[in-house]
Order: sequence, then structure tokens, then C-alpha cells
Amino acid sequence: MFIGTAIRNGVDYEGGTTVGMLRVMSRRGDDRVTWDEQKVLVGDPEALAAVREAERIFAQERAKGATAFRIETGKPSQRIDQFDATAEQIVLVPRVVGG
Amino acid sequence: MNLASQALTALCWIVIVLAISPMVWLILQPYFKGWSRAERRATDLLRDTLTPEQFHQLTWRGYLEIPSPTAPQRIYRVPRTKGYVQVIENGRAIMRLCLQPVECLPDADVVVLHKLMIEANEETYLQKANKYFCVD
Repeated sequence: MFIGTAIRNGVDYEGGTTVGMLRVMSRRGDDRVTWDEQKVLVGDPEALAAVREAERIFAQERAKGATAFRIETGKPSQRIDQFDATAEQIVLVPRVVGG
Repeated sequence: MNLASQALTALCWIVIVLAISPMVWLILQPYFKGWSRAERRATDLLRDTLTPEQFHQLTWRGYLEIPSPTAPQRIYRVPRTKGYVQVIENGRAIMRLCLQPVECLPDADVVVLHKLMIEANEETYLQKANKYFCVD
């Protein structure tokens, strides 16, 4: 379930809710999956499904050699090996080679 | 005579337009390219990832300078479009790096890729890049 959205930095400031986002770089720009952390915490089925989908894509891309980075506003980016549903934003970049 | 003169003028203009149109296309091409959906999405990610100052630098200077997280005297200069990443130490270019994704990505995504890898994965970045040392 890829969702196009205009939410900036993974945070929907207007609604006051915290939204996590997985962004996968591709030739189409980036594909995105978003989930509402608060709804995940209360067990909302749709939010849980979005997290599961993000987790699946994360694992699939990592298996193909992609590198994952956790991005938080005002903090340095951090490489991660495990999916983290509490992350503000996770960016997956494809495998790189020397040119 | 007057008609011949007008025809000659028109012909001159046609030649001039034909001569400059490839140059105009080369200048405008990046802007047309920027309108594509993929480029727009990649630019969104770039804006989200860079500070306003970094975005301004990339737009106006054509490159992004990323300080090394491990070596304070080192700066990586990442071009806005395809090309080598310059490594600058103490103000001098010491080498050029070539590293590219296996999948074709919009230019803005490639800039983000370099930034993330340098800031959070510098060791692997340097291991994987092909290095071309600058000789004085």
C-alpha cells in the first residue's frame, strides 16, 4: 500500500498527530508508506496494516542490498539495520557501486 | 529589390533561430526535466532532507558541501547533477569520487543518497567509491 502524501518530514503538524514514513528511492522518485503512530499504539487495524506493509518493504529492499537511514528533524541521520515503527522517517537508498 | 531584401532578412533570422535553438534547449532542458513527476517527488525528499541553507547552496552554486563527520578538515562537494564528488581537505581538492546507485534515480535523489551515506555511513561510502587522486 503505497500512499502519496504531502506530509513534511513525516510529521503532520496540522493534525497534531505523529506520522511515521518510509520512503523508498526509485526511478519514479520515491514511493512512500505512512502510518499514524498513535493509532498503531491503540491497535487501529489500518495503521497496523500500514506498519506491516512498511516492514515488509523494508525487509524486501534490504535483501536487495538497500541501505536504510533514520531521519529525525534536527538530528543527524542514522543508518539502521532493523525497521523501527517509532522513526519519524526512514529512507531506503538502493545499493551503490563505484562508478 | 525591396522584396529580395526582406526575403534575405527573413532567411537570416531563420538561420539565427536554427543556430541558437540547440543552445536554448540545452539551457532549458534541466527546467523541463524538473517538471517530471519523478523529479518533483525527488525534489520533495531533497527539501525535506536539506536545511534551507544547504538547499540554497545547491540551487545557486550547483553543488552541496557536506562536512565529514570523522575528519573536521574534510568536505565533500556533491554536484547537483551527475558527476564526481570532490573531496576537499584544508581547502584543496585531494580526490574525486565516483559512486552511483545500481538503479537509475532522479538527480535530486542521488544528492540525498550521497548526503545520507556520507553523514551516516562514511566508511562504507569511501570503501565503495572509485577514487581518482588529484595530482598537482
